[in-house]
Amino acid sequence: MFNGLEYLGEAYLSFLNPTSLMYGMGGALMGILVGCMPGLSATLCIALLTTLTIKLPTNDAILILICSYVGTLYGGSRSAILLNIPGTAANAASCADGYALARRGEAGRAIGIATSGAFCGTLFGVLCLAAFTASLAEVALSFGAFEFFWLALFGVTMSGSLVGSDPLKGWLMGALGLFVAQIGQEGLYAYDRFTFGIHELSGGIALIPALVGAFGFAEVLTVLADPVERKLVELKDSTLPRFREVAQYWRTVLRSGAIGVMTGLLPGVGEDSGAWMSYAAAKATTREPEKFGKGSIDGLMAAETGDMSSIPGHIIPALALGIPGSAPSAVLLAAMILHGVQPGPMLMVTHPQFVYHVVAMTTLATISILIFGLFMVRPLLYVLRIRRTVLMPIIFLLTTVGAFATQSRLFDVYSMLAIGIGAFFLRRKGYPMAPFVLGLVLGSLLDKSLRRGLVLSDGSLLPFFTRPICAVLATITIFTMLMYVPLFNRTVKRVVGGALGSLRRLLPVRRA
Amino acid sequence: MTDSATPPHASPAAPYEEPSSAPAHGADVAQPPRTDFIAAVLWIAFGIAVAIASWRMDRLTNQDINPYTIPGLLPGFLGLALILFGGLMLIRSWRAGALTATGRGRPNRMTASELRRFAIITALCVVFGVGLVGHGLPFWAAASLYVATTIATLQYPQRKAAGQVARGIVVAIVIGLCAGWAITLVFQDIFLVRLP
Repeated sequence: MFNGLEYLGEAYLSFLNPTSLMYGMGGALMGILVGCMPGLSATLCIALLTTLTIKLPTNDAILILICSYVGTLYGGSRSAILLNIPGTAANAASCADGYALARRGEAGRAIGIATSGAFCGTLFGVLCLAAFTASLAEVALSFGAFEFFWLALFGVTMSGSLVGSDPLKGWLMGALGLFVAQIGQEGLYAYDRFTFGIHELSGGIALIPALVGAFGFAEVLTVLADPVERKLVELKDSTLPRFREVAQYWRTVLRSGAIGVMTGLLPGVGEDSGAWMSYAAAKATTREPEKFGKGSIDGLMAAETGDMSSIPGHIIPALALGIPGSAPSAVLLAAMILHGVQPGPMLMVTHPQFVYHVVAMTTLATISILIFGLFMVRPLLYVLRIRRTVLMPIIFLLTTVGAFATQSRLFDVYSMLAIGIGAFFLRRKGYPMAPFVLGLVLGSLLDKSLRRGLVLSDGSLLPFFTRPICAVLATITIFTMLMYVPLFNRTVKRVVGGALGSLRRLLPVRRA
Repeated sequence: MTDSATPPHASPAAPYEEPSSAPAHGADVAQPPRTDFIAAVLWIAFGIAVAIASWRMDRLTNQDINPYTIPGLLPGFLGLALILFGGLMLIRSWRAGALTATGRGRPNRMTASELRRFAIITALCVVFGVGLVGHGLPFWAAASLYVATTIATLQYPQRKAAGQVARGIVVAIVIGLCAGWAITLVFQDIFLVRLP
């Protein structure tokens, strides 16, 4: 307990120097600029900055990445409010109410609410990050191959189920990501799988080129293939954060913060789920549900608080279990590994202070977005006026550099091009990319855990289902998938409906 | 969970409705059953190929390894999973009328203008990534050439309509040179990252 506070104090002090502050603010600013531009995701921003910061000391590099992560999601609300296009998927829930406010001439007010919601949400998440990461890592120390097998599978399944509108396509992309992760030398015997004699494939498909291909190059193709330019709503009123409205909607802020963190804890769920669930909860509890979608302050506050609080929520399982909560946190996790920090249950043993450094970094990111929200709203909006025909070729240059920089291989540039073109067509057919990324990141863990588990159990599948945590994860994973089978779905609904009906009959009837 | 696990368009009973307009990003659009049917066949074929390749993969018996740790174990399961999901999609699209006259629907196809722009952009990007980069030309020069050509090409119709073709080319060259110089400076000289 006191060790933790000591580490936390040291972590905050270690970032109180001009260099760290400059890196943190710079990362947040870069994130906000990327977030402002529709289509450019947090995943792409972190992947590109990972290559840019690869020669920096670990703490400085991770500080820039975390600040850019927070900045991107915050910046995404700008285009949601002013263009009715979410800057990132996580800001989609802010579109309806934010844009409605902007159309009424209250764009500044909407941005102010988004800023205050984002600040409070991230701060709430940071408190949870500080409080729960160490405890979760301690619990995870008892996890074995069986639990990690299910955690990896659970993450990919949940991502497939919740990202996009068709779970079947999500699971197919998850399975594809897991398969692509199997290409190259496997982890136990260094045997080449699916390399077809191409020696560059022995190292596997590297994560960063795959990500910048799927999220960067595919987006460049998508945006430039569409010739329509969107019109920006003019900003006329004050954009200062509205903390009076935070006080007024404190219940919404607390509820959305908690929902955001809880969804963040679930592997593979993504930031947009936090926003949508918070939005739905706010709509269910408000006295004015008819205002939702038509410029509701409550709705905008809930969506922004929910998506921002899920960021620290996603970092918790990434640090404590080594299982990322979303696609951006998967890149963050990969960046930590590149810098020699292996997230997972042993993190609190090998680098106990690192978790507290991450808490301090996320706090700095939170303060940075508040500062930019207070003083830099209007200048930052100029980025939305850059023509796409100018911006996107430059983004493609960055994706090429990003693909090349981590391993200095031209093969990675070719992989990026191939994956980008493939992702472009898959996205047009409604296949989401986030489960693919989760599969790519978790494929190696799933493979090793399955084979190690089978060795430990001497080929028996029983421990995969009978150990307590395995049983819970297996039940949720299998149940989620079975719910897609119409017969099972109807049966469950009938049983649940019957049980609820019986329960109602047992309760005393209220008479008028 | 139920709602998210069974989207409206996924239900076999729900009739297929054509999208009123295809959104720019194409994601989250209900695809016509025929499109999903063809995709399902391809997924199943891919799954079968993965499963066969995994089955035929070396089991390293000469190294006397534990038979539960053979390299093809998980890829084999993944091949089966792809076949299973592909099979479910096949059944779903078939029940939604993929093989009927209406099942063809209006696929989320690109318009002629979108297709032309896509082909031009893809060609420019592939020429830059495969042909220009890493073959002796300095990165700043390759980057400038790519950016200038792409901007000039994509803005050509508007510039031509406005009678500003020459100006458009000059602007594109200036932006290209600035982008090439700035990226080289930031990555190579400030952050010491190796460029292709």
